[in-house]
Amino acid sequence: MDQNQTVALLKRSMPFQTVPSDMLDAIAKLARYESYARGDVIYHQGDFADDVYIVSSGTVQHTLGIGFQATHPEKILHSGDVFGWAAVLDNQRSRLAKTVCMERTELIRINGEELINLFRASPETGDIVMSRFATMINKEYTMPEEVAGHVPHFTQVPVTMATGLTLTMFRLSQWLKSPKPYLMFTGFGILLATWYFTVEVWKLPRFVDMPGLTVVMKEWFSKDPVYGLSIYTPEYYQHIWVSVRRILIAFFLATVLGVPLGLFLGWSKTFREYVFPVFETLRPIPILAWVPLAILMFQGSETPVIYLTFLASFYATALNTMLGVETIDESYSRAAACLGASKWQTFKEVIVPGAMPFMFTGLQISIGVAWFSLVAGEMVSGEFGLGYVINTSYTMVRYPTIVIGMITLGIVGYTSSALVRMAGDYMMQWRVRELALGGR
Amino acid sequence: MNAKRLRKALFNRSKLRAVIAIFVFLVLWEIGSRSKEWFGFAVPWIGHVPAPTAVVVAWYGLLGDPGYWQSWYMSTLRVLAGFFAAMVVGIPLGLFMAVNRTFNGLVFPSFEILRPIPPLAWVPASIIFWPSQELSIAFVTFLGAFFTIVINVLGGAKSIDPRYFQSAQSMGSSQWDVFRRVVLPATLPSIVVGSAVGMGITWEVVVAAEMISGGGGSGGSGGGLGFFIWNSYVGGSYEQIVVGMISIGIAGFISSELLRKLGSYLTPWLRKR
Repeated sequence: MDQNQTVALLKRSMPFQTVPSDMLDAIAKLARYESYARGDVIYHQGDFADDVYIVSSGTVQHTLGIGFQATHPEKILHSGDVFGWAAVLDNQRSRLAKTVCMERTELIRINGEELINLFRASPETGDIVMSRFATMINKEYTMPEEVAGHVPHFTQVPVTMATGLTLTMFRLSQWLKSPKPYLMFTGFGILLATWYFTVEVWKLPRFVDMPGLTVVMKEWFSKDPVYGLSIYTPEYYQHIWVSVRRILIAFFLATVLGVPLGLFLGWSKTFREYVFPVFETLRPIPILAWVPLAILMFQGSETPVIYLTFLASFYATALNTMLGVETIDESYSRAAACLGASKWQTFKEVIVPGAMPFMFTGLQISIGVAWFSLVAGEMVSGEFGLGYVINTSYTMVRYPTIVIGMITLGIVGYTSSALVRMAGDYMMQWRVRELALGGR
Repeated sequence: MNAKRLRKALFNRSKLRAVIAIFVFLVLWEIGSRSKEWFGFAVPWIGHVPAPTAVVVAWYGLLGDPGYWQSWYMSTLRVLAGFFAAMVVGIPLGLFMAVNRTFNGLVFPSFEILRPIPPLAWVPASIIFWPSQELSIAFVTFLGAFFTIVINVLGGAKSIDPRYFQSAQSMGSSQWDVFRRVVLPATLPSIVVGSAVGMGITWEVVVAAEMISGGGGSGGSGGGLGFFIWNSYVGGSYEQIVVGMISIGIAGFISSELLRKLGSYLTPWLRKR
């Protein structure tokens, strides 16, 4: 049997099918040719496993020893089949079966150690071959997975595990295969085209006064903006930073005060009966109606805006946290009490985690309304910030800057909501898993 | 017996506590506001707020003022205009997006990039675009309710169990039957919720829009409650600010309650028995 025949045989065998040809040549060099007569025993159960065999012609009976839980302990092997794979297993170097030739049989044998050493040099190919070995042992020999688990790995990262990145890439490729991205970009195209054509090409009545698409884009990305605000000017980032800082302070205060208040409102009936009515009387007053009063109460220009932003977030956070506590099944608290939990332990182990999903819904609403009232606050009073940019650009007839402000607000607002959502998913992985198990 | 039951209904413990709490709140507010006159130093923050008794006096004076009621009328009109426009456009749009996958793929991403822009950021653009101030305020109010309504309708329609469609179809329903008997009843609760939330937002937005744009074109007393508040602030009659705030609170509360009542009438199967 010459080199070419051996390569052809390897190519027909299941584990080596995908191996590149230069590698196949190297493997073929390790192979030794042998021929047996009818009735010859190739190896007995318990022999030391040194070589892997591939049948070239003839038939071999493969009988697994007692004690190996295979569904079909007997198997007849034909040309291209692989046996004797115990030689490539980790910690399992004795034969699991007895093999007898049923007619005149030709086969090649490859030393397991040498094969593994060869694969160490090119771990990627090695891992593919070995995972195919594992599949073969599992499927064709109907052996349990724990036996297949002894097949060695060569690369550091096990190829079978879906890591975060591969999962993301997989989802991305699935998404690209669906019609979604194409429809999405068509939708964006229609939106932008409508803007462009109505304002700048057809110059429809009313639309013609609006800042057009190209004007806004030129201004936004210009190094020397006509109206003084673009991505190259430091003022642009200063405005963003001022707004973000106000949001951060207000959101932080609202969370720190709103979450405990909501927890207590839900937990203690007495506390709720005293505090909730006052809360409910104040709540229908729109946040924005507070603007003049906030200016009166907090002197200066910074605190009123923060107060307005805080107030909006605070209601959302406290109310949702309270709802979260109310949805907790009463029997959980009772079970905890039966098991001897103190009031504080029940609060810490049952109430707080139970209210978490609603709490994070509340925080998401909270960050949304925070931006909503921040803009109003900045437009009416306050200096700097994106709302201020929009309002002053209007009064000073810098129309393209209004649109820049709006787009920037959209981007920053969206990013902050996404961050809160991610934080929520991260802290409530048990819930994400629960939803995933439910098929959602 | 009957009197006893009445007394029980009126004075149960939680109601009593609510009354006590609100009373204590008002007393603390009164003391805080009057701290400068009474103790010679102003309590921080509350010290600058007009006292509740002064507010009541100011309110009593305003009850006979047609300008005050005109403000109510103007704001209500704007809220209703924006809100109904949002319902008329938003509900069909949300339903159609839920039913047609291609349309959803086309429109939803654009919708999602416009949604994070707060409605009030649209105020200047809206003033430039619309010929009258009235229309521009109505447009901003419309935007406030529109996104909420669409999202709620879409969410409601998407959460319908597909087996309902399959069973309706296998029993020979027409498209219209599926819409009338499956989609509409299933989305009605979320339409009601979306409208109630949207109504709350329209009141928020109308106030701010009135403040920012400086009231109606007629000027003076015709500008709506938001303008009433702003005008009181500029004119230095601080009691009236609080009157305006409470008025808007009442208006928003009444309209949300009316919507909830209407909603519970439309969705009798959700009522608690």
